[in-house]
Amino acid sequence: MNATYGVVAVTLVAIATLGIGAFGLRMSRTTSDFYVASRSVSPVWNSSAIGGEYLSAASFLGVAGLVLTHGADMLWYPIGWTTGYLLLLVFVAAPLRRSGAYTIPDFAQVRLQSMGVRTVASGLVVAVGWLYLMPQFQGAGLTLRTVTGAPNWVGTVVVAVIVVVNVVSGGMRSITFVQAFQYWLKLTALLIPVFFLLHAWSGDGRPTPVAPEEWFQPFSQADGPGLYLTYSVMVATFLGTMGLPHVVVRFYTNPDGHAARRTTLIVLALLGTFYLLPTIYGVLGRVYARDLLDTGRADTVVLELPSRVIGGSTGELLAALLTAGAFAAFLSTSSGLTMSVAGVVGQGLARGRISTITALRIAAAACVVVPLLLALSAERIAVASSVTFAFALAASTFCPLLVLGIWWRGLTARGAIAGLVGGGLSAGVAAILTIAVRPDGWFGVVMSQPAAWSVPIGFALMIGVSLATRSDVPANVSRTMVRLHTPERLDVDRRF
Amino acid sequence: MTEEEHTGRVRVTSPLTTAPAHVRRSVRQEIDESTGIGEVYMRSLIRAQLRAALTVAATLALSIGTLPLLFLAFDSVTEMHVLGVPVPWLILGVLVYPGLFALGWVYIRQVERAERDFTELVEPQRPDSS
Repeated sequence: MNATYGVVAVTLVAIATLGIGAFGLRMSRTTSDFYVASRSVSPVWNSSAIGGEYLSAASFLGVAGLVLTHGADMLWYPIGWTTGYLLLLVFVAAPLRRSGAYTIPDFAQVRLQSMGVRTVASGLVVAVGWLYLMPQFQGAGLTLRTVTGAPNWVGTVVVAVIVVVNVVSGGMRSITFVQAFQYWLKLTALLIPVFFLLHAWSGDGRPTPVAPEEWFQPFSQADGPGLYLTYSVMVATFLGTMGLPHVVVRFYTNPDGHAARRTTLIVLALLGTFYLLPTIYGVLGRVYARDLLDTGRADTVVLELPSRVIGGSTGELLAALLTAGAFAAFLSTSSGLTMSVAGVVGQGLARGRISTITALRIAAAACVVVPLLLALSAERIAVASSVTFAFALAASTFCPLLVLGIWWRGLTARGAIAGLVGGGLSAGVAAILTIAVRPDGWFGVVMSQPAAWSVPIGFALMIGVSLATRSDVPANVSRTMVRLHTPERLDVDRRF
Repeated sequence: MTEEEHTGRVRVTSPLTTAPAHVRRSVRQEIDESTGIGEVYMRSLIRAQLRAALTVAATLALSIGTLPLLFLAFDSVTEMHVLGVPVPWLILGVLVYPGLFALGWVYIRQVERAERDFTELVEPQRPDSS
């Protein structure tokens, strides 16, 4: 691939990102601007921003790579990532916005009146954020190496630095603009080459993908672990989305609960449109780029296809466009994650003598360092699998906290802590075991996709311990429920 | 007023004439004061919203949730082709997404209506202003 085009594309995305960020900086002055863009973001802006933030390297590169490698079974990942938003819409969106808190730990404290829950939830936000940031940084390294031949660490460090500069300078408001811009950039970058690729494919007489039978058919081996893995992926992605810190914090930027719902519906449309595309790349990869499978670089199929299928300067330009989209994916997801993790850590720091904005800036820089070191030192794991552990962890901890907190009066602080710790340990240990030890056999399978058993553990602990500590139910739970569930236009008493 | 007059005729008045006319307590007051009636209203709102959410969840479980089993059980489905595309790819790669959007759209209509009804109940003089 031509390195010059790629470098130009990456540079342009970086400049555009920082430029739009600076535009936001001139407008963001108060603490509220920094954390939640003063809650004045319209549903269209906000949903574009959510789409931009959510479509990470795993979506832009990973899905096509998985489809290229494993075929039909992998279509469950994008389905799960979209369905997660539908469940977020029906169980969480409006009440979460109406709770009036900035972050999940805020919500936990508001609902349960307990600093202990807040501390545990804060720790989990950081853990989920790190699990999600590490593959983004590694993916950036891989992309830059594919495009320019630069060593892996270059792309990793470039993305980390841009993210920190961006978050530190403008906070949430600028991030909202940046994210919205990046959704449309990602969609365009993936959409335009598809037309060229399909045209070239038709010109070649529409060759069918070359693949073994099981690639075409979901669950061709009924005796294998396929069914367990599929359902576990479903549980993790369906329920994990609502607990991802960078997704949840977006809902606080809606003006009211009604807008939060409309935002989520638009997000469903934006994600559904986007996810039609990676599959096409994966399938065409089976036609034109099967050698990537042998060299273990399936994740780069999106970037490789244009120059292989079309070639010439058109192919190079399209490849540069895709590189720009991929870089937008790393930047937007990493920025959003860093922002949300920094928001949580920053609020903790700000209790001291530091101002809240300074605290947020220090926290942002600090939060990037750990996943950056992990990404540089750990050997590369497939982007999608590391992301799956972030989903499983969120699904086992924050999903029960949010769903039970919003719909069940009986949740107590001790119950919540038990569920957060128990669910978190289950999913966390499974992730560490799989990444560090790689156990074999059925145990390895069960550990590689823990959500199917760790989510029930989280829910069971939260419900069981809450029932056992029934006398601890917060005294003001009725008032909290009024606040969470009544439409804003009603003039009722929402004080705690 | 003198003592003599007091020993004479005494005017007896019903306390109700000085008391304010009977005021109907609004649902809003009931909710604000967390009375039994207020609680009933709140619980019915929450139950309606939860029912809508669970309906969506159940629909998902019965549709997308059963697809893997369907593919596993019926080979005829997985081997069908429409326009040259295998049916599972068509369902999983394309058709699922408009389905999810439609489900979300129906849900929003339902809960927004429930909230409008609740608003009218609580503040009848100010019917839905949005």
